[in-house]
Amino acid sequence: MHESDPYEPSSKGYLLLTILVVGLFCLILLRLWHLQVLQGREYANEAEQNLLRERSIYALRGLIRDRNGELLAGNRPAYALALIREDCRDIQAALSRISDWTDISFQNLEERYNSRKGRVKSFKPLILIPSLTFSELARIETRLMNWPGLQIIARPQRYYPRAPVFSHLLGYVAQPTLKELRENPSLQLGDTIGKRSLERALDRQLRGSKGKKVLEVDAQGRVLKERIVDKSKSGRSFRLTIDADLQRFIWRKLGDKSGAVVVMRPNSGNVLAMVSKPGYNGNSFVEGISEQKWQGLLNNPRDPLRNRAIQGTYPPGSVFKLVIASAALLRETVPIDKKLHCPGFYRLGNRVFRCWKPGGHGDVALQEAIKQSCDVYFYQLGEKLGIDAISNYARNNGFQQQTDILLPNEHSGVIPGREWKMRNIGRPWQGGDTLNTAIGQGFTLVTPLQISRYVAALVNGGHLLQPNLLAKSEPTQQGRLPLSGDSINFLLNSMRVTVEEPHGTAWRLRTKDAVIGGKTGTAQVIELTEELRGEDTEAIPYRFRDHAWMASYGIRGKKKYVVVALIEHGGHGSSAAGPVIKSVYDYLFP
Amino acid sequence: MPFLDRRVLAHFNWSLLLLLLLLAGVGILNLYSAGTLRQDQGVTTAYYYQKQLYWLTIGFLAILVIIVFDYRHLKAIVWPLYGLTLFLLVYVLVYGTAISGATRWIDLGVASFQPTELAKVSVILLCAALLARMPGPLGWRELGKIMLLIAFPVAFIMVQPDLGSGLNILMLAGGMLLFKGINRRILFTCLVGIPVLTPVTWFFLLDYQKQRILTFLHPHRDPLDAGYNTIQSKIAIGSGQLWGKGFLEGTQSQLRFLPAKHTDFVFSVFGEEWGFVGCALLLSLFCLFLYQLVVVAGTSKDSFGAYIASGVFFYFFWQILINLGMVLGLMPIVGIPLPFFSYGGSSTLVNCILLGLVFNISMRRYIFTRK
Repeated sequence: MHESDPYEPSSKGYLLLTILVVGLFCLILLRLWHLQVLQGREYANEAEQNLLRERSIYALRGLIRDRNGELLAGNRPAYALALIREDCRDIQAALSRISDWTDISFQNLEERYNSRKGRVKSFKPLILIPSLTFSELARIETRLMNWPGLQIIARPQRYYPRAPVFSHLLGYVAQPTLKELRENPSLQLGDTIGKRSLERALDRQLRGSKGKKVLEVDAQGRVLKERIVDKSKSGRSFRLTIDADLQRFIWRKLGDKSGAVVVMRPNSGNVLAMVSKPGYNGNSFVEGISEQKWQGLLNNPRDPLRNRAIQGTYPPGSVFKLVIASAALLRETVPIDKKLHCPGFYRLGNRVFRCWKPGGHGDVALQEAIKQSCDVYFYQLGEKLGIDAISNYARNNGFQQQTDILLPNEHSGVIPGREWKMRNIGRPWQGGDTLNTAIGQGFTLVTPLQISRYVAALVNGGHLLQPNLLAKSEPTQQGRLPLSGDSINFLLNSMRVTVEEPHGTAWRLRTKDAVIGGKTGTAQVIELTEELRGEDTEAIPYRFRDHAWMASYGIRGKKKYVVVALIEHGGHGSSAAGPVIKSVYDYLFP
Repeated sequence: MPFLDRRVLAHFNWSLLLLLLLLAGVGILNLYSAGTLRQDQGVTTAYYYQKQLYWLTIGFLAILVIIVFDYRHLKAIVWPLYGLTLFLLVYVLVYGTAISGATRWIDLGVASFQPTELAKVSVILLCAALLARMPGPLGWRELGKIMLLIAFPVAFIMVQPDLGSGLNILMLAGGMLLFKGINRRILFTCLVGIPVLTPVTWFFLLDYQKQRILTFLHPHRDPLDAGYNTIQSKIAIGSGQLWGKGFLEGTQSQLRFLPAKHTDFVFSVFGEEWGFVGCALLLSLFCLFLYQLVVVAGTSKDSFGAYIASGVFFYFFWQILINLGMVLGLMPIVGIPLPFFSYGGSSTLVNCILLGLVFNISMRRYIFTRK
């Protein structure tokens, strides 16, 4: 059966195979020579870079404490759950498992995954849950090893223990925007940056400097060895002049009202409390605020993002009468004891300007006019001074100027004048405008902090001081009130009788064993119609109600304080702002 | 015929065995390194080299079995074998187990079996038997007949989809035809026609196959996904430089930068650790090995044996050429392993079976003189 055809080996076939073998040998050898000998060094470098990675070491952000050392802004470890796409075999299964571990629905996780996967490289962690609770962490950590591609990332995260109470002072940190990244070459995606208030103003110092380490990693980014090249430097910590207990106390006392309260030491400018309500929770920005929450904050009619103490500008109302009075004292427009008649209204041309008290105050001198807040007296004073003198003088008292407190985006307010009206309203100044300005209505706008600085200057003998938030810093004088000591004393005394004597509008502030002076103010939001004018505050729609002002000082022994409150749409200064300030004095003078 | 008589044993091809042992030994050593991963502390070694050793043992047993009988008996079973192959290829498409998207396996309970590997053996045997009976340079008719017979298994394999194996069978058959000799005019027509027709095949390729070809042409087009393999492989081999980084010292492989480093890209591990010198020596071993097959094909005393040997030659030749070509960045990435180096049970076994045939042919080349 082994019959085979006679076979002569085909010399052509044999030659073909031999040529193929020799060809293979030459081709591969040349290629090896090219890769390993000619380009070997370059590839060796690339292999080196393959396994060494540079990473930043995050610096701990500096702490912020109150005057007594209570922590207002700290850091806490945050645990994020991340997914590395390249290492994850079955992403759907992993997501559904994560959904079992946490309370987050699968759809929600899938949405997060889909929205972020375009922005993260496949070998880099894609953060699904920015901060896990401790129970979630415990549950997940033990199960993680069965799920390659899932990773828990620990990193320090900013934390505000008393979130809304200090929100306007502290601000918050968040991820930098693309623009901020471009402007700060030291920032990287994933860093945080101070976005608001002190976090923003002190950002450079709080941030510290990042360090650098070199890691030996494998292709999956697993770290095998690490070496620190450059240590990180923690950010500087700060202690504030703020008294956290007082701040919290005021926050509580304000209840659900919107407004601002400033407590200041008149001799140093140190701010003990600066409350602006409503506030917001800075922690939600740190964790990455949802679009829905952010829109909620932006569209909230009570504007929780505005720090009313420095960004809220309101007509000062009768509080401004102190400024008008001191201008009159300086210029000796009217002798101190000269009485002017108040029949309850004042006629200018064919317009009638009313006093808040329908029957009028009768004959009143300056101090009595301040005490009872007589509008007609100040109409006449204003008319005699003229708008040029008033606006000039008000600016010299620090109005329409920022207080230069450390917080960013402070508003400077408005002191109107002829030029101002022409430029902004487009009509010439009229006599009626002067009368309105003289009682703090009309175009004039001030911030609660400007009023605080002004009252502090009266109490400290005329020094306009920069309101200060950082402990252990020297007072910075910004100017002097153009007033003699006698005039200052006269004004302080007028505020005092406003509290202590019968018929004084600030009688609610009377406090045992302490010298308290006060001035109320009611800032009109709109010109109320005749029917509404006599009505109870409660009967008027909220957004039309007047803003309530109260500016005050309190002295007991060596302790001196300035307390200013503004209650938005609070109605009358005395009834709305009075009780809040009274409780502050009860707190300060126990 | 006496069972393994002295003369048969005396003519055993010892140099081919030596080369086989050398290649398999270096291959196991290299698999040991390829399976080693550096961890936080120390290293761990995967089990690949052990498994490969088991399969080689089975393979050597298969060689022993195959050399016992005269290979000429196989002529009788080439058609049944071909039929069985077609049946199994269809069966696997219908009932096979899918592993990473391709249906190639028949689950036998204790082990999985790839009919593709059987197809390699049966196509070589069928072609050899047919070519042995055909006269002179091949004409259109003969070519057409063989092509048609090959087209069925190749088509079934391509739809699995297993581009690498299909291509390998097609090319080894083509090699055998060339070895036999083709009519000059037809050869010329093919030389002109194939380059013209090649672009047409583009439309029959699957997306991932097109991707691979595009990526080969521009590896940096997608450096993290498809091009990653080629780039990392070139870095590994190039960084070996002249002398290599030393056994178990390759950072590319130990730190897992290399993909598929125990299968298709196993040569990158070798290149990184042994450098140009080691690679040149290994290349020489492979070429000597191939040359031994050429010698067997050239000295066989019957044409059936010669064509089998030439088929086995092309089987190994194309794999070595394509695998090294892709690992060195000369060719697109096709899933073709490097014989004796890449980890794989079925392919190791088939390699041994085919070499068993060559040993068989080689040791019986003097039997005819007695007749």
